[in-house]
Amino acid sequence: MTTQVEYWRWTESRYTNPEVDWRKASTITAGIDVGSVSSKAAVLADNEILAYGLMRTGSNSPDSALNAINRAIEGTGLTMKDIKFIVGTGYGRINIPFAGKAITEIACHARGANYIWGPVVRTILDMGGQDCKAIHCDEKGKVTAFLMNDKCAAGTGRGMEVFADLLQVPITQVGEMSLQVDKEPPPVSSTCVVFAKSEGIGLLRQGWSKNMVLAAYCSAMAHRVVTLLERIGMEKEFVLTGGISKNIGVVSRLEKELGIQAVPLPKDQKFDPQLAGAIGGALFARDLLAKSRKAF
Amino acid sequence: MTLDRAKEIVTNRHDYAREWKKKTGSKVMGYFCTYVPEEIVYAAGVLPVRVIGSHEAQSYTEPHIYAMFCPFSRDVLAQGLRGKYDYLDGIMIGHSCLHLRQAFGAWMTNVPASFSYYMYTPAKIQSPHAKELMLAETIEFKKAVENWLGRPITDGALDKSIEVYNTNRRLLKQIYELRKADPPPLFGSEAIELVLSSQLSDKAEHNKILESVLKELPQRRNGPQGGNIRLMIIGSEDDDTNFLRYVEGLGATIVADEHCTGSRYFWNETIPEKDRLRAIGNRYVNRPPCPTKDWESRRRFVHIMNMAKEYNIQGAILVQQKFCDPHEFDIPPLKALLEKNGIPSLFLEFDITVPIGQFRTRVEAFLEMLQLEVV
Repeated sequence: MTTQVEYWRWTESRYTNPEVDWRKASTITAGIDVGSVSSKAAVLADNEILAYGLMRTGSNSPDSALNAINRAIEGTGLTMKDIKFIVGTGYGRINIPFAGKAITEIACHARGANYIWGPVVRTILDMGGQDCKAIHCDEKGKVTAFLMNDKCAAGTGRGMEVFADLLQVPITQVGEMSLQVDKEPPPVSSTCVVFAKSEGIGLLRQGWSKNMVLAAYCSAMAHRVVTLLERIGMEKEFVLTGGISKNIGVVSRLEKELGIQAVPLPKDQKFDPQLAGAIGGALFARDLLAKSRKAF
Repeated sequence: MTLDRAKEIVTNRHDYAREWKKKTGSKVMGYFCTYVPEEIVYAAGVLPVRVIGSHEAQSYTEPHIYAMFCPFSRDVLAQGLRGKYDYLDGIMIGHSCLHLRQAFGAWMTNVPASFSYYMYTPAKIQSPHAKELMLAETIEFKKAVENWLGRPITDGALDKSIEVYNTNRRLLKQIYELRKADPPPLFGSEAIELVLSSQLSDKAEHNKILESVLKELPQRRNGPQGGNIRLMIIGSEDDDTNFLRYVEGLGATIVADEHCTGSRYFWNETIPEKDRLRAIGNRYVNRPPCPTKDWESRRRFVHIMNMAKEYNIQGAILVQQKFCDPHEFDIPPLKALLEKNGIPSLFLEFDITVPIGQFRTRVEAFLEMLQLEVV
């Protein structure tokens, strides 16, 4: 029997904040971000992150959303009934039956980034599974401008997954490996993922090492999103969210090309920048709940 | 509501033209650009109908024009090649952009009609000679139509045509005037349908539709809600009313527009003078211009900013047909100008069909941005 290894398959995960006792919280809300590749749920107890779940998106949004929130509350003692308001976000946002409101991931990432990194954040680059967004926000985390990439998977997580599979490198190691090259190769020239993959195969046949091909792809991806940031304009402070923000090979090349360092995650931060959208959603859910309580 | 009649004409445009032909026994002329002096066609007893988009994916145009031609020109040509316009007796174009002219050329070659005419119109309306040039071309065009039909177009017929066309423009402007209210009595998608139906039907009949609409609107109960975000749409040819309906279902109302399927088509009237052809020609030189002709000073921007102020807009959607170079060139300075005046804008690139999922996120995020508070 042969075992088929899928190198793109990143590990699903969850997290509970040991310092938060939800039973003492007056308000519990959640944000669920159903993206094209991953579905994230973040649970907020008052103003603190209580738990999160990070799962792969399945074939339909309601199931993916439920899967993510169930994973988030797993082992916390919480039930869905304890969550007083849920905001749905991400491309599957309009199809989450138990969400009280849908808000775009653009607004949610800005709000989430404001929470994670603080009010200094002005530019957010969200590098997601199938698209990429450059966002400007004010000190409250409210969007003031944004740009989205065109309808193409180049420069997104899906493209990186294709390369991980092609080179048989686990997706989490792509970034590190791409930095282990003696000389930085020229970037892959095709912007289309399918063509870029063909180009990658060609480079391997020419005798390039895996690391070199990964370097060429990470560099192409960095270059592609730099053009997006140049179009919207760069305002400090700058942060990265979304799955690709965890790929050091892309991030370091991006920082080099921009000549600006992204603000690092706060030291006490135990959660993942891929959760920014879900966290933003949970914060909006909290505001909405406060508003509705006020109304009565 | 008579508004439904306008929608019906747009939806069943081919049936409308066929029925008109049967009813009148007269000819129908398809035209490709709103720089065609329609008054002359109408005065000749021929019905001018604009060829607009079908928004159906197609694979007919590739052998004739390259895929980097704008989606509108490809969509137009595809319909011709597929025989959707088999009832047309003639086709014509007023010179504006090359994509559409080449589509016209491919149509002319592959779908022969008994009359096909390429009318040159000034490429620079700011030129001191633009009006003389337009007059000379208008004279030539009138002669060509007369030769085709074998009868003269009389001054009396021209006067009547000018009057019918001016009435249509005046009525549309009166309806647009109502959109300054909050809430306006009609949706932007409906306003565009009123303009499109004007381009597709007999203006004398359309005037009656507009008169009824004007009477009905003040009593209307199911119009847009108050407090919606007031948007303006600006840019290329835009007949995708489904997309506009979609935007207006998200808590926004489109209250103004600058498209050749909207205000640019009817904003100014023909000012009558003894030389009818000069009067008609001047009207086209003076109209809110298409960016293909608007050089070097931008009259277009003046029209846009006046509308933006008068209609009290909160944001603008800049619509560009993919690969439309003239609009592409105008968009960066226009975006900056709007911004300087406190009006944020969203840029969307249109194809024959639009990627609704991606556009939804962009439009929703734009509307969230325009609200004081997201929640």
